Amino acid sequence: MQKSKIQNPKSKLNLNIKSPKKIFNNLSLGFYYSFVIGVLAFVILLSGCSVQEGSVSSEAKVTIRGWHWMTDREEAFDELVRQYEEKTGVRVKFELYAPSDAYTQKVRAAAQAGTLPDIFGLLGEKRDFSSFVIAGHVANLNEEMLKDESAWKNRFFSRAIAVSEFLSGNEFNVEPGVYGVPLDVMNIQMLYNKDLLKEAGIRKPPKTWDQFLAMGPKLKAAGIHGFVSGWGEMWMIDCFASNYAFNIMGEEKVMDTIRGEVSYTDTDWIEVFNLFKEMRDAGFLYSGIVTMVNKTAEQLFSNEKSAFSFNGSWCVNVYSGMNPDLNYGVMLPPKKGKFPMKIWGGAGSSFLVNNRSLFKKETIEFLKWLSDDAQQTYLAEVTKNLPANKNSIGKLSPVLSGFVKAMEDTTHPNIWPVHEFPRVIEAFDKGIQAIIIGEKSPAEIALEVQKVKEKELKKKRR
Amino acid sequence: MKSNSKHIIIKRLKLVVIYIFLSIVALTCVFPLLWMVGSSLKTQATVFSDTSLFPAQPEWRNYYLAWTKGEFSIYFLNSIFYTTFVVFGIILISSLAAFGFSRLKFPGSNFLFYMFLAAMMIPLPGSFVPLYVLVNNIRKLLIEFLANISPQLMNFFPASFVQQSTAFIQHQAFPRFAYIFCMINVGLSLSIYILKTFFDKMPKELEDAARIDGCNKLGIWRHVAIPLARPAIAVITIFNALNVWNEYILAQLILSTKDTMPLQRGLIVFQGMHVTDYPLLMAGMTMTAIPILIIYLIFQKHIIKGITAGAVVG
Repeated sequence: MQKSKIQNPKSKLNLNIKSPKKIFNNLSLGFYYSFVIGVLAFVILLSGCSVQEGSVSSEAKVTIRGWHWMTDREEAFDELVRQYEEKTGVRVKFELYAPSDAYTQKVRAAAQAGTLPDIFGLLGEKRDFSSFVIAGHVANLNEEMLKDESAWKNRFFSRAIAVSEFLSGNEFNVEPGVYGVPLDVMNIQMLYNKDLLKEAGIRKPPKTWDQFLAMGPKLKAAGIHGFVSGWGEMWMIDCFASNYAFNIMGEEKVMDTIRGEVSYTDTDWIEVFNLFKEMRDAGFLYSGIVTMVNKTAEQLFSNEKSAFSFNGSWCVNVYSGMNPDLNYGVMLPPKKGKFPMKIWGGAGSSFLVNNRSLFKKETIEFLKWLSDDAQQTYLAEVTKNLPANKNSIGKLSPVLSGFVKAMEDTTHPNIWPVHEFPRVIEAFDKGIQAIIIGEKSPAEIALEVQKVKEKELKKKRR
Repeated sequence: MKSNSKHIIIKRLKLVVIYIFLSIVALTCVFPLLWMVGSSLKTQATVFSDTSLFPAQPEWRNYYLAWTKGEFSIYFLNSIFYTTFVVFGIILISSLAAFGFSRLKFPGSNFLFYMFLAAMMIPLPGSFVPLYVLVNNIRKLLIEFLANISPQLMNFFPASFVQQSTAFIQHQAFPRFAYIFCMINVGLSLSIYILKTFFDKMPKELEDAARIDGCNKLGIWRHVAIPLARPAIAVITIFNALNVWNEYILAQLILSTKDTMPLQRGLIVFQGMHVTDYPLLMAGMTMTAIPILIIYLIFQKHIIKGITAGAVVG
């Protein structure tokens, strides 16, 4: 074979470059043939996978498509849709897209392209939800919900429905109605480790704030950390403070504050801020709590490093994985004020019906079946989530039952008639973090939050 | 004599400090990998309590469970398919484009090149919605086209074959190739930039010699530029293979069925909304890391050559 040896004088690269014409004649096509054969083999292999799908879809009468992001419920959904197809002949095909950020991207892109599936869920605030409704992507289920004396609607906890419901005169100008079917509910309460309390000589969990604070020294003496929570995630601080705001001053006054009619420098608000100082002074808080993510807090509580925790009902699932032997109970945050304690809670996940679906009627029928007692019981048992259906709570574990009992005492910013400015929320939460680390006093924070509030109100008036 | 030994001691001390520093850097790089392998051999209960790097009683079964539960076999095939086609496509297109930008002078070549460079500045999530809408519109056209030609095809082929073929094109071939083209598009800018830098340094004498041997422009690209650019191609291969192998968000956007998804789809099974099965996740991640490690080891020599020869010099 003829070769022309070319030396590159500058880079000193030695090359053996074959004469091009001869190379073309002598080119070994073996590799290319084998590559093409390989590709063809792969395509045939894939077509083997696809034939089944094609044939099934051509045979099935109706195929409802659904998208979800709930990785831990994939198997349970697969089982339920299998049962539904067996019963009705209607095929339901769920596709899982996770994590939730990627799922949200997919839903937004599909909404713009007009390719949303028959069933989908929305993650985010009610404002985003309302924009999907206004754009005509979500079906109003009110008529179906209210049929037969509200038979479908009455199955659910009222808070579960509230997240997907738009009342008349709502601030988003959405046509009143229910726009989602709740699958499960959640709420956030306090957890206590029974064994650690016993070790510290405490027989009963606290009912009042004073009882709770009095436990601080006892736990400290026994070498046990008092309280852990993911307060590095600011919404959790917000949640804890909001519980006590409702408890100390009542719902009306909280709403009046958001409307700008009551100042954050009011004594009741300073009392709310002061709770965090009291917890710090009593040595209750786990070190580093203001930067702690909830996952770390969950690890610490499940590893019995802390006597109390503040967490959502999903923790049952988490703790059972991390430490199946953890002996713990659930309780409402100990009371401080005279008003009812309102905890955060509501629908965990909901399914929406595509308003432009070709199988809208069939999709609604399927969701009715999915939210029926038996299916909800099955989902609750398998996934250890609280069912949205009130009639499916019979077989729950004691801790989950404890969570369910408080379902009617829940609230959530999404269902409040007025909403606080994001900058005020930020100042509020960061202020509490500053109190916990001893940087500022409750009165100072109250003043700072009020200043931000006034600034935002001024902007709004302009 | 004394000053000489002092000099040797200082030199050795310097070396010791350098080696300690390098060992610490190497350890920080290797530690996450070791932690991943160690965690993959623990149980869900011990992963949070057992602080040892390698458990006393390793749970080798996690690998089997991760493989079966994550349905890795089909995802592995898919990822190999996507990675092969995307990397091959990027090398082919970017080497042609870079050779053109470097060696062929045509009006607006600089402008076009800077346009490619500018594309590097657009983050992938920024182009999600337009890409999805574009792919979807092409899909609609394809479906329309298939619907129009199906009756004619049925005159020559059995109806079931035509139906199955159109279903295959719609649900399997189209989404897969749409994803491949999108990923090629994502990887082009950087690859063109790397290769152009490399081709710019290629001596003109080589081109002349090839021309004397009878090569046209395409021949020079095929027989001179490409063999010379092997180190740069190795860098491109590893960069893009890594990118495609680990990509999931765009795949999720474009691919609509589970059986077309890449390997990363297998991993999300272990990451619940609130609960993550760490041992199985780590076992899955270890398995997904192996092919890319092999690619790296194969191309390691070329990558070092590519970097030292200026393949990735700015």
